[in-house]
Order: sequence, then C-alpha cells, then structure tokens
Amino acid sequence: MASSQVSRLRSTRLNPSLIFGAALIGFMVLVAVIGPSLVNEKLARVGAVEPNLPPSAEYTFGTDSQGREVFTTLILAVPPTLRIGLIAGVISVILGLVLGLIAGFFGGWADWVIRTFSDVLMAVPALAFMILIVARMQRPDITVVAVVVGFLTWPGTARGIRSMVLSIRERSYTAIARANGESEVEVLFREIMPNLLPIMLASFIGAVTMGIYTVMGLEVLGLGSNVIPSLGMMIFWSQRFSAVLRGMYWWWGPPIIAIALIFIGLYFLSFGLDRFINPAIPVRRSRPRQPRNRSPVSVSAAPNAALEVKNLSVIYETPAGVVKAVDDVSFTLGPGERMGLIGESGSGKTTMATAIMRLSRPPAYIVGGQVLLGGQDLLNLPDRELSRLRLKEIALMPQAAMNSLNPVVRIGAQFEDAIATHLGRLPRKQVDDMITQALTKVGLKREMARRFPHQLSGGMKQRVAMAIATLLHPKVIIADEPTSALDVVVQQQVMHTLGRLQEELGAAVLLIGHDMGLITQFADSVGVLYAGKLVERGNVQEVLDNPLHPYTRMLIDSLPTLDGKRALVGIPGLPPELLKLPAGCAFHPRCPFAMDRCRVETPAAQSPLAGRQVACHLYPGRDGLPPLEVQIDTGSQAALAVDKQAGA
Amino acid sequence: MLRYLGQRLLQYFLIIFIANSLTFLLPRIIPGDPIQEALQVKAAAAGRQNVDIQAWVKTYNEKFGLDQPLWRQYLNYWGDMLRFDFGYSLFDYPATVMSKISAAIPWTIGFMSVAILLAFLVGSALGALLAWPNSPRFLQGLVPLLMVISAIPFYLFGMALIWIFGVQLRWLPTGGGADPTLIMRWDLKTLVNIVQHAILPASALVLFGIGSWALSMRATMVTVLGEDYITFAQAKGLPERLVFLRYGVRNALLPQVTGLAISFGLILGSGVLIESIFNYPGIGNLIYSAINSKDYFVINGTVSIMVLCASTALLIVDLIYPLIDPRIRYGR
Repeated sequence: MASSQVSRLRSTRLNPSLIFGAALIGFMVLVAVIGPSLVNEKLARVGAVEPNLPPSAEYTFGTDSQGREVFTTLILAVPPTLRIGLIAGVISVILGLVLGLIAGFFGGWADWVIRTFSDVLMAVPALAFMILIVARMQRPDITVVAVVVGFLTWPGTARGIRSMVLSIRERSYTAIARANGESEVEVLFREIMPNLLPIMLASFIGAVTMGIYTVMGLEVLGLGSNVIPSLGMMIFWSQRFSAVLRGMYWWWGPPIIAIALIFIGLYFLSFGLDRFINPAIPVRRSRPRQPRNRSPVSVSAAPNAALEVKNLSVIYETPAGVVKAVDDVSFTLGPGERMGLIGESGSGKTTMATAIMRLSRPPAYIVGGQVLLGGQDLLNLPDRELSRLRLKEIALMPQAAMNSLNPVVRIGAQFEDAIATHLGRLPRKQVDDMITQALTKVGLKREMARRFPHQLSGGMKQRVAMAIATLLHPKVIIADEPTSALDVVVQQQVMHTLGRLQEELGAAVLLIGHDMGLITQFADSVGVLYAGKLVERGNVQEVLDNPLHPYTRMLIDSLPTLDGKRALVGIPGLPPELLKLPAGCAFHPRCPFAMDRCRVETPAAQSPLAGRQVACHLYPGRDGLPPLEVQIDTGSQAALAVDKQAGA
Repeated sequence: MLRYLGQRLLQYFLIIFIANSLTFLLPRIIPGDPIQEALQVKAAAAGRQNVDIQAWVKTYNEKFGLDQPLWRQYLNYWGDMLRFDFGYSLFDYPATVMSKISAAIPWTIGFMSVAILLAFLVGSALGALLAWPNSPRFLQGLVPLLMVISAIPFYLFGMALIWIFGVQLRWLPTGGGADPTLIMRWDLKTLVNIVQHAILPASALVLFGIGSWALSMRATMVTVLGEDYITFAQAKGLPERLVFLRYGVRNALLPQVTGLAISFGLILGSGVLIESIFNYPGIGNLIYSAINSKDYFVINGTVSIMVLCASTALLIVDLIYPLIDPRIRYGR
C-alpha cells in the first residue's frame, strides 16, 4: 500500500500536463486579478478613442470600430469570462457532490434520478437549451446563464462521485475503519472525503470548461451583455463589424488567443488530473534494443532437444526501479517431454512463458539469453521469420483463455486467420475440415465455430484456445496456467485433454503453474522457479521422493496426501518483493537451513546427482536435504495473517 | 428482443417527454414577453414608431393562444409538436417556422455530415496509429498538437480560416452557402459552387474533430492492445497488419461508433456557432438571425427539432449497438 502511494505521488509530480495547464490558468487568473487595476477603464468605453486604428505605440493592440481600445477591453474582458466558469463550476460540484454522496451511500432513487437526468441532458444540447432561455430575457444576464449551466452539468460530477464512493466503500481500509467502530459519518469524512478531492477537482474543471464554453457560445450568437466586455462579446462585436473581412486582425485576434489559452489550460489541467486519478505505469516510449548475441558460436543446440532455454533474463522497468523478473534461467526440453514449471505468483512464470515466445511487452524487456528451437535462436530472429515459427513450431496456450479470444470475431474465423497465415489460401472444404478436426480433438462440436466467444463457457473457451494452439501440430507447446480460471472438475477435464493431445502430437509441453499437485500428475519432469531463478530441476518422481532444494521440499510438504495422515505445512513468510530482493540467495529469509553464506552469495546451479539440478549452498557434499524439523511458529503465522490484511 | 425494444422505446419517450416539457416550461418561468419584444423589433425595422404595439401584441397573443392558461398552452404545445407545427415566424409572417427549418436543414446536414465523417475517419485512423507501438516515431510528436486543437472552441478556427484563405489568399469564399448570383440547378456548376462555400466551415470542424477523435481512439486502442487476445493473436504468428486491424482496431472502434452516432444526433445543434460565423444558410444561422430579430417561435421550433433529432439518435445508437458488438444482445 505504502509503496503504491509513493509511486502515485512520484508520477504526479512529473506530470507535465498538470504543470502546463496550471501555469496557463494561473497566468490567466493573474491577469484577471491584477490586470484591471493596471489599465485605464475609460479606454474600454464605446467612443473613448478614435475607431479602426491599427496597433501603434499609443494603442498597443489598436482600436475597434466602436471606439474602444482593444488591449484595455481585452484585459477587462478576462475577469467576467473566468467568473462565469467559477460560478458554473462551484454550483455543479456542490450539487454533484451532494447527490453523488446520497446515491453512493443510499443508492435507490438518487441513482435513478441521476441516470434519467443525464439521459435527458444528452438529448438536450446545452447550448440550444440556453438559447431558448436567454432569448426570452429582456436583458441577457450572463450570471444566470452560469448558474443554469452549473445545474445542467452536475450529473457528470454526481456519477463520478457516486462510483468513487462505491469503490471506496468496498475497499478494505474502509471496512477496517468500520470494524473499528467508526460510524458511517466518520467513515465518510475521514476515509472517503480525502479520496474524493481529486475527482471533485476534475469535475470542477469540467464544469468550468462547460460554463465558459456555453456562455461564450451565447455571447458569440449575440445573447450576451452589451455593456460589460467579455471575451465572447469581443468576438461578437468583431463579427458584427466584419473585422475579419476588413482585415482588422488586431481586433479579433487577441480575444481568440486569450480564449485559446484558457481552454488549452483547462484541457491540460483536466488531462493531468485524470492521470493523477488513474495513474498509468509510465511506459518508456523508446524501447531499448534487445541485446543480440552476435556470436553465432553459441548457437549449438544440445542434440535431442526440442527447446533449449539458455541464460534467459527478463527485466521490468517500473517507476520505482528495474526489477529482474526472470534471472539467468536455463533448461532443456526434450522432444515429447512434459515439463512442469512451478512457482508462486510473482516468481516470473508467465513473464518467462511470454519471453520464450518473444512476446514480452513494455515494461517487460528481454535483456539476455537464448531460446533455441531447432537450431534457431527465437530471440535473435527477424520478426517475419519468428512469426512463421509461432503456432507452427512453437505454440502458446495462454493463461486466462477467457480473454484470449477476440470478442467480436466468430470462433471459426480465429482458426481461419491462423490457417491462412501459415498455410496460405486453401480450399474452403479443407479449412472447414481442419477446424472441425481441431475442435473435435478437444471435445467440442463443430458448431462452435459459428459462435462468438461470449457464447461459450470458460472451460469451452480454454478448449478453443487449446484447439487453436495445437491446430498446426507444433513441436513445442507452452501452456501457461491453462486451468487457472476454471473450477476443479473442469480443470481435470482440460488437463486430461491436454495430456491426450500431447500424446497424439508427440509435442514437447512446458506446463506452467502454481499447483504442485496438478503439475506433478501431468509432467515427466519439473522445474521450480523462485524469484525469477530456476532453483531445482529433475525427474518428477525423483524430485518428489528426494527434493534437493529446501523450497521444493516445502512445496511438497504443503501438498495434501491421499491418506491424509500427514499434517499440512505451509511455507512461512511471503514471496519476496522483486524490488527488494534479499542479498545472496533470495530464499534465505524463509529457509530453515540458511547459513551465513546464503545471505551473501547467490548459489549457482549444480548437479549433485545425475540428471538433477539445484541452486543451493547445501551442495555439493550431500545427496539429499538434511531432516527438517517443523516448528509451528504461531507468531509468524499470526504475523502472516496481519500482513495479508494490510496488503489486501 | 421485443421486450428490450419495448423497454428502450418507453425510456426514449420518457426522455423526449421530459426534455420537451423542459423546453416548454423553463423559458416561461423566465420573466419577459417575447411577443412584445419581437413586434417592437419588427416595428422598428419597418420604421413605424407610433404603432399601437399593445393592440398588436394582444391580437398576436390571441391568435397563438398565448393568453390561455399554462396547462392549455402545454397541451397545445404537444399537439403542435406531434404535427411538427411550430407556428408562424413572428418576424417573417406569414412564413411558417417549419418551412424555414426545412429550407435550412439540407444545408446543415450536407456540410456537417461530410465534415463529421471525414473527421471521424481521419481521426480514428490517426488515433489507432498513435497507440500502435510500431508506428513511426514522429507521430507521437503530434499528440500535444492534437490536444491543443481539440481544446480550442472550433468556431474560432473558422475566423482564422476566413482570414487566411478568404481574405489574405482569396482562394475560397468567405461565407454564405452559395454565390448569391448563382441560379440553383442540378448541375456541376452549382455543385462546385456549393462545395467551395462549404470547404472552409467544414475544415474548421474537421480540424477540431480529428483532434478529439484521434485522442479518444488512442485511449481506447491502448486499453485494447493490453488485452490477452492481442498477445494470443501475436502468438498465433499472425502478420502485424492483421493483428492491428482485426484484433486491435475492430475492437477499439466500438465506442468510437457510438460517439459517431451521437455526433450525428447533435448535428443540428453543434453547427450553430460555425454557421453563424460563416453566415452559412443552415439551422445555426436560422437560430442566429432569429435571436437577433427576437423571432421567438423560430427559436422554439428549431430547438425542439434539435432535441428530437438528438434523442432519436440516442435511440438508434441503442438499437444498432448489438449489431456491431456481438456481446450485446437484445434479449438480455
């Protein structure tokens, strides 16, 4: 929580739109406040000076056709224009705040009023409406107009405030405050109000803009006060005397520039505020060039490997610093091998899966390593050749297949584009047969091809994604948590289908997940990922019988057994924050065997047993972990629970 | 499907009802007698200062039923609305308000719809390219410029355009819908003349429109490009163009199309200022001259037509949306 607050502040301070907008508006306000006292008001009266004079030393901006000095008139025109905005903004925010709070806290009728009112306002163009009202006035009173505009713009404010209240009420700290016995009113003022400030400011700016815009429109149409100069009236006067056609640029030019400055300032202010309310991770526009391994020497794939990952490293560039999400990971996947890759959330699993396909997107950058597929380094291929290999040679079964299908395109078309890309134009019949076959293989009917993704259940969508991934019989399949969003029964079915597909195609599968049970059921071999590092690798049965890394042991101990005799043991502590990785071995704070060396030196991968790999300082010198005494540390369990609450 | 339609229609009529009741009621709360003012203006224009204006006003009020109680007037108002009968022009008697509106509408719809479509197409294409990480770098430099243009009230561009292209360079006419000397016929000469007159006002609108369409498209496109289906499309090895168009643009276009429909709904109202600047003979100019001659019935009728047009557009958006977004079905 604390760290995200810090980064929010940082991104705000560096928000150039906000600074630029505030500077412009600040300047105009300054002009409005001190300007009038610096000029001679008399020069802005009709007939005060000789009309139609171009700019000169005497009259800086020249004079207009009614004998006003333009510069003086301009300075005097700024305050009324800004005042209009202020009135409209204040009224809109007050009304919006009150009704938004009511709607947010009590819902019901207030919700309905807001919705209906904003629908009505969408049907009534504000300017047209105001014309109707002002045209009836004997002497147009622009202040009344500003008030009405305030009344017309509140639904936007109310909507924003209402959804903000609703979302804040759901947040945990409000719940905690309520649990601590604070009343609704206290919660409102202490917890909710401070969070509403930015959104109120944004609504205020919106109403100010709307107010100035509408009033100026009325004035340009001639519905303003002919007595008090304002920027809109200056435009109207210059129009009525055809200043543009008569080439009197000094008359119509300055008010246009002043108006432009006000609106540009307001626009950038609201844009900057929006950035403040919804901070986005600033993405560096210029992507660092991926370091290419120029030396072709290293491209010597191990014989008999379907996929070889060598020293793969991926970083994230965050506002708070660079994070190593995948750190120097190497492994080999044999043809037809089923390898499981296990890790807690945040261990770099998905980052690695996308990096293997070279699909990493900013802020993630691949900074080193090779991914060898049939003697070619995927990370070093031209884009076009890489595209040719994707799906045909190496396919991705995405995580969260719910969102992996294009929502506005029929399922069948999402097969067809892949077929057309890789195999060129084929006869209709052949394409249909391929799709039917692919769907049948995953247990779906061919009719599914005519449906849209939203018409399918989660499990069906996952099957469609599997059918697409296996459509062209790839040699390697990267399955990134293919079952993460599914319920247990469907999970089993999907895993079963994946197993059958693998057997039929003979493809090598890299199954990524956090569910040790699910993965060990499926895989021939496993790798264990901790804080972006591969800490253990070996045959499934051997690893289960004799885990070499303490972390692996703890993962196994946390699994329920079939006879249910053993007590389940959790792993103490939380996965490390990648921004603040401990020195030495990243696991040492949670490791029961941690030694002094572990706190300083990062362990390298080694092979204490044939066919096994581990990165731990306990080796060499032994062929298994020392016995582990489990102490149930109630203190740290409680601390864990507290941490979770605070972090939620 | 039928239930959805029924619900939407009901909501639509409620909105029209409230909106029109407001247009009837609110102006009548404001003190002032538009008839008297209008006739004063008219009398002044005709150079007759000594006419018995009070008597004249009385005749008018009786003629248009303005001496009746408010509820009667309200019922009459609805009757008139349903027959598209907005009465006679006060200033230009005996021309009816509806005849004036029908004469003006083609001008507005003609130049505005071309301008709106053009701005939408160019702006959306530009916005999509701005969000695409592989598009040329120099495009990013356009963003602040687009922000600036979409911030400035666009009718002000109009004045600058007249000054540059009409007054200084003398390339294009400075105002009006066609040459006053032109005899309107269905031939090329007339068309060219009309298009020439429409170029400048339309350009002001297009310039502004490109900015705002591009910025909204860019924002939606950035969100869409973060979706999983884009990653999966790339994992399928699809060519970049296909991912960009069918997976990116196709999805980002949905909210844009809604916006387009709403712009078309507001077509009569949003041109008011640009038309008055260019003296363009459309709805906007009609309302502008009605304001200056205090022709209250014309103002009232024009605003009613605008409201009708805007709310119909809202209804149409709702009804066509399921066609462009398969996720939304009438049934639900």
